[in-house]
Amino acid sequence: MEGVAMKLPSFKSLAPTAISVASTFSIRRSLSFARRSSSLSAATITADSEPVSLGHRARKDFRILHQEVNGSKLVYLDSAATSQKPAAVLEALQNYYEFYNSNVHRGIHYLSAKATDEFELARKKVARFINASDSREIVFTRNATEAINLVAYSWGLSNLKPGDEVILTVAEHHSCIVPWQIVSQKTGAVLKFVTLNEDEVPDIDMLREMISEKTKLVAVHHVSNVLASSLPIEEIVVWAHEVGAKVLVDACQSVPHMVVDVQKLNADFLVASSHKMCGPTGIGFLYGKSDLLLAMPPFLGGGEMISDVFLDHSTYAEPPSRFEAGTPAIGEAIALGAACDYLSDIGMPKIHEYEVELAKYLYETLASVPDVRIYGPRPSESVQRAALCSFNVEGLHPTDLATFLDQQHGVAIRSGHHCAQPLHRYLGVNASARASLYFYNTKEDVDSFIVALADTVSFFNSFK
Amino acid sequence: MAASMSSSCYLSSLRLIPFNRTFFSSVNPPSKNLILRPIPSFLRTIVTFLKIPTVIVSPLSASSSPSSSVDLQPIEELPPKLQEIVKLFQSVQEPKAKYEQLLFYGKNLKPLDSRFKTRENKVEGCVSQVWVRAFFDEERNVVYEADSDSVLTKGLAALLVNGLSGRPVTEILRVTPDFAVLLGLQQSLTPSRNNGFLNMLKLMQKKALSLEVKAEEGTSESTTDEASVVEVDLESKPPSVVEVEESESVSNVVALGSRGMRIREKLEKELNPVELEVEDVSYQHAGHAAVRGSAGADGETHFNLRVVSDAFQGKSLVKRHRMVYDLLQEELQSGLHALSIVAKTPAEV
Repeated sequence: MEGVAMKLPSFKSLAPTAISVASTFSIRRSLSFARRSSSLSAATITADSEPVSLGHRARKDFRILHQEVNGSKLVYLDSAATSQKPAAVLEALQNYYEFYNSNVHRGIHYLSAKATDEFELARKKVARFINASDSREIVFTRNATEAINLVAYSWGLSNLKPGDEVILTVAEHHSCIVPWQIVSQKTGAVLKFVTLNEDEVPDIDMLREMISEKTKLVAVHHVSNVLASSLPIEEIVVWAHEVGAKVLVDACQSVPHMVVDVQKLNADFLVASSHKMCGPTGIGFLYGKSDLLLAMPPFLGGGEMISDVFLDHSTYAEPPSRFEAGTPAIGEAIALGAACDYLSDIGMPKIHEYEVELAKYLYETLASVPDVRIYGPRPSESVQRAALCSFNVEGLHPTDLATFLDQQHGVAIRSGHHCAQPLHRYLGVNASARASLYFYNTKEDVDSFIVALADTVSFFNSFK
Repeated sequence: MAASMSSSCYLSSLRLIPFNRTFFSSVNPPSKNLILRPIPSFLRTIVTFLKIPTVIVSPLSASSSPSSSVDLQPIEELPPKLQEIVKLFQSVQEPKAKYEQLLFYGKNLKPLDSRFKTRENKVEGCVSQVWVRAFFDEERNVVYEADSDSVLTKGLAALLVNGLSGRPVTEILRVTPDFAVLLGLQQSLTPSRNNGFLNMLKLMQKKALSLEVKAEEGTSESTTDEASVVEVDLESKPPSVVEVEESESVSNVVALGSRGMRIREKLEKELNPVELEVEDVSYQHAGHAAVRGSAGADGETHFNLRVVSDAFQGKSLVKRHRMVYDLLQEELQSGLHALSIVAKTPAEV
């Protein structure tokens, strides 16, 4: 129960246990890690000459990770809910407000010009980050949810007719279900849902069969925030375009963790949130192909998105301005640009490579805990999982688990339905616990988590 | 009403709250004068802007030290069994041991029959599932049963069930969540969405009150009511029948807690209003230090009232407000901070 917060003594005695457990688990793994991380740029050599992993190096940039909660070292395993921000991003935000805060686009004076330049530069950075051909294809929104709503209300209301079909999966985040429900009610379009196959991933064959002449839109996740699976977006786009349907990709869990190339994917729309990719909250973006955006009517009305305003009517600006009504989150956009820079400096391929290893490690150690049921596919040669695991422990409510982990061990995980109620209903559970990693997590974090989990399970089991 | 504004009277009779919480829950009198009159010793001065508590409360300290109980509802006001539970938890120092104690309670909680796991009995705002059932025993004491799929929540539910079951309605309604602090379980007492404990207590109190109201109204015995509701079962109609009754008789504003209910009852009984609106706007003032710290403040500290009644005929605005304040004396002394009152006669509407 999230309302409960109990004060508990620090269990410093855990530390030695953690190390011994870690060494039994992971001797081989740490060696392979060492080999891999030595190939990373300029590794600092520690006293025992074991090369430092990306996680260890990156951690230095995140002051928030170096604290104690409830008497234990913080182990933050909730990056799928929101990521932590490196000092560079925080500086960029502070810098904006301290030195050149000013409203953008219409001003003449120096500060305004500078703010506008930085804001538009941020847009270019985002465009480059996802390899959009033109920065005008990036619309800044409040977050991915707003971006999806934008497409639903603007594109959806003017393009969907009664009987048209919109294809989703049962594993979608609520933000990619509810707007379509609203719009389909208004337009008479029909929603169809792809279910999971026996590997607990959305059934691609079923998706393919569902696509028909009636399909107007396929809106799916790239990487699932619960199942950790990914969908073959390129293929889906090919199938959809064959029948003239558009594809919207919810890339919230992919853009932060891997290279996402919108031209290669050839998606029509793509959305992501800044706060999951080391950027601040309050900003996200929609990528839309130019010709699509040009044909779309406005979403929100107000300043910035107009051309001329009369009393009885107005004319609208070109995209992206057309969809950016009102004063934007200027500082936040600039900080998002800084986040793109930060991630690019490390290199998305490196981040991805590191996380694939971490993901495997997490899955395997978690799976070795008795009575644990992890959702989603098993990792294999052909199947790469994202670095997160949603799971349940037999006979233990995830909320109890998360509470105890937090209170006794300082381990932060999430429990609940992760904004995916239909998925949980489909899996037959009320809620699940989820541990999610990012490139600033380390193997040691995973080890701490597993030790804490084992302790938690045995505590609650002693009451059965 | 000539206000006697002599300075001595002013100073001696006025006790203001020392922070900047002014004017919001003010009443709508056209004049903003301070209105004073010589006070009988048993009444406080009523300033038509603010209600003044008798004790200047300091913000509740974050630690769970029992000495801070001076700011909390006194333990003696709690039902006896709840007092025992609180004392037991206070005697257990080790936090992990407190957990164990909690789980122990949960384990020994009588299981709730699944037919009572209805929507009506479900506690809102819990990430886990919690159900609470309430009924009267032969002596019109409230008996509770509860269940949850989360063992920690079940433990908390068991605490409440053990502490409140078998007690009369009035005693139950007096309980505030303050005792959770005394337990040493560091609960967040803000009524946020995820605070299942607070919501559990609220639901239990709401159920107690509605049992009382239904019994008083002479509708069929609540025990048989509930039983018949459940027997007919799976059809959605019978539960909604009970719910309609409840909502008609108890309140027509959704989130009225126990104080809100009491206010409504009192005003209805004494003023026989043609129109009555009781609106809990405590959330607007949730940041105040006084609100956080005050005893009996189950978040219910500020209300907007709209009363249309013949009883106001021929009375000045101030007299009307005075009438309302007089009726709600008990509330005002137990944590109600301020009322914003609109008092009209039917002709004036």
